[in-house]
Amino acid sequence: MKVSFPYMGCVTGYKKILEMLGHEVIMPQKPTQKTIDLGVKYSPEFICFPFKVMMGTYIEAVQRGAEVIISSGGHGPCRAGLYGEVHEKILKHMGYDVQVIIFDSIFRDFGTFYTHLKKVRNGASLIKLIKDIRFAFQIICRMDEIEKKIKILRAYELNRGDFNRAWVEIQKLYDKCWTQQDLEKASKIAHQMINDIPIRKVKDDERIRVGIVGEIYVIMESSVNMNIEQNLNNMGVEVENVQYISDWVKHNTRGFFGSSKAEQMIGKARRFVKMNCGGHDMENIGWMVDFKERGFDAVIHLMPFGCLPELITQSAIPTISKELKLPILSLSLDEQMGTANNQTRIEAFIDLVRNLKSAPKTEVKEIEDEVWNAKLLKQELAG
Amino acid sequence: MRVGLPRALIYHYYYPLWKNLFEQFDVQVVISDITSKELIQKGIKVTVPEICLPIKAFNGHVINLLSKNVDYIFIPRFVGIESKKWFCPKFIGLPELVGYSIDGVKDKMLTIDIHGNREDTCLLENYRPLCNVFNITEKELKKALKKASAYWQEFKQYCMKGFTIEESMQILNGEQMVSNTHPEITLGLLGYVYNIYDPFVSMDIIKRLRQMDVKVITFEMMHEKDIANVFSKKSKSIYWTFSNKIYGAAKVLMNDPEVDGFIHVTAFGCGPDSIIGKLMELDSDKFRKPFMTLRVDEHTGESHLQTRIEAFVDMIKRKKFAEQRRELA
Ligand code: SF4
Ligand code: SF4
Repeated sequence: MKVSFPYMGCVTGYKKILEMLGHEVIMPQKPTQKTIDLGVKYSPEFICFPFKVMMGTYIEAVQRGAEVIISSGGHGPCRAGLYGEVHEKILKHMGYDVQVIIFDSIFRDFGTFYTHLKKVRNGASLIKLIKDIRFAFQIICRMDEIEKKIKILRAYELNRGDFNRAWVEIQKLYDKCWTQQDLEKASKIAHQMINDIPIRKVKDDERIRVGIVGEIYVIMESSVNMNIEQNLNNMGVEVENVQYISDWVKHNTRGFFGSSKAEQMIGKARRFVKMNCGGHDMENIGWMVDFKERGFDAVIHLMPFGCLPELITQSAIPTISKELKLPILSLSLDEQMGTANNQTRIEAFIDLVRNLKSAPKTEVKEIEDEVWNAKLLKQELAG
Repeated sequence: MRVGLPRALIYHYYYPLWKNLFEQFDVQVVISDITSKELIQKGIKVTVPEICLPIKAFNGHVINLLSKNVDYIFIPRFVGIESKKWFCPKFIGLPELVGYSIDGVKDKMLTIDIHGNREDTCLLENYRPLCNVFNITEKELKKALKKASAYWQEFKQYCMKGFTIEESMQILNGEQMVSNTHPEITLGLLGYVYNIYDPFVSMDIIKRLRQMDVKVITFEMMHEKDIANVFSKKSKSIYWTFSNKIYGAAKVLMNDPEVDGFIHVTAFGCGPDSIIGKLMELDSDKFRKPFMTLRVDEHTGESHLQTRIEAFVDMIKRKKFAEQRRELA
């Protein structure tokens, strides 16, 4: 079968597992403006942005020969769980004969999960399948580990582009791994490559650390979030993103690969909201608390325009920000992103964070509340 | 004690139930004013801009109640009323959406969480927090819930006879209703109660249609079982309760030869409707039944709405009569 899947963050892991099962993989392309335009054209006008980008990605994949598209359902009340069905209907309506298979959470609906698994596993034995999945998952974890490191160190790189060049090479390295031995070797080389890149030394109290939270697709896929991590790194800011594929897999397979961090985060969010509304909304608020506890300087919240659960987070942000004394910037993204506008907002926000940091400590305490609230407000109004 | 009910969102569906329940405890029920431009504007001002119109309207109604000297404002959190289905995320987060948007509302909010698998919501667990507030025993609450539920069921019976929500309420109050004249065509009117029945949002669309000799069928006029049964293994149901009712109603009506076409009334910024709207549109294409989407927001003009409905109804009438003539010939 010619199989494809949505493009979201680093896709080496998906590719690996499908190849190990003997499928021909039609690699989805990183979304471009053309992809987005295509998706927008064929999607319902008022559907959320990630749906549109995926729509475009699928159309491109189908045009390149994909017969099956594998995607995941969401959990709970949000729209993502219905994406697949609507995507398939639209593709069929356009005249493409393609099947969209949705993998729901294993534990919620084992029956459906198993039937889908049978289709995908291509005659392989269950044992082989489990082994393959575990191996692919390991690759994903290792790559995530390196990516996390890059997003911190890249803020201080001396020669612009060093880390990105290394990352391209590293992806190739992992793509060639077929055995545990390969994997160990690749990891060793990869870490060495990262450690060898020359960086600027900074004092601990000069580091500026920003956490990124929000809707999973837009925070994971750089082509739809104005490449925000790179952008912040370029301003000399360290970034930590709360979503990685490995975490996401863990969350969806609770118990299979160990317990998830999400539950812990939900506990931290209780003081602000009582109930999860269907996305990662409660988890995200928990992360804001967590970032504060770990001494981060600010948080950026990204969401697709009109995203149902994240709008609830957004409503609570002014209060959370005030109570935690943590600057939080919330940005909505869609196909008319207005990059320039958002770019200005990000820059102004980082300036503000930097000023807060360099102001003498005692003074900060007193002015903190009014100053950055007032400034933030002005910025919000301007934006 | 005075308890305020915002005349918005799910109010239109459960009003008879809540009114009956509260009044059994000698609570005075205060309802916010009928939606107006000013009232919505107040809601818009305090609410995050991207959110759907009905939530902005809800906040407007809450603000309106704050000026009515009430002790509490009833803002239930609807999580689910049937198994494996939930409410739109904004219903689940409603107390937060209101609490974080409107200053000074938090101490007045009377919130209960609605779970379980009963359409009438009348589980003791759901309403237990009222015991403390109204100073009543659980036993009293239980008895009252039973009564309120029966009252609400009666109301639903009238709906299922084809009366609108307003008419059903009037019948409950002992008024007489004359039934329809002779409709020329039948339309499925698809939309949430808070859009269809809010005279500001959809501008009395049912009345307008009836004046054009149209028979109108809405989801609450249909039997729940019929709607639930239309979903098979092959066509997945939608996991938001009311979106599913509307989508299911559309599916049933697609197969009904009496129904000549559909109007989908949807509010600006509605997430679930962007999905079911597309699905219904694709279905109606398959069944060759005309389908029109009316997207309403606070700026929608009355004449614009009237023109669109008229054009749509005329088109269907022409089509129908042409077919009838052909059959006769
Ligand atoms: S979480 Fe947001 S982006 Fe995802 S399906 Fe729901 S509304 Fe769309
Ligand atoms: S169903 Fe649509 S209109 Fe209703 S609250 Fe949800 S988003 Fe708003």
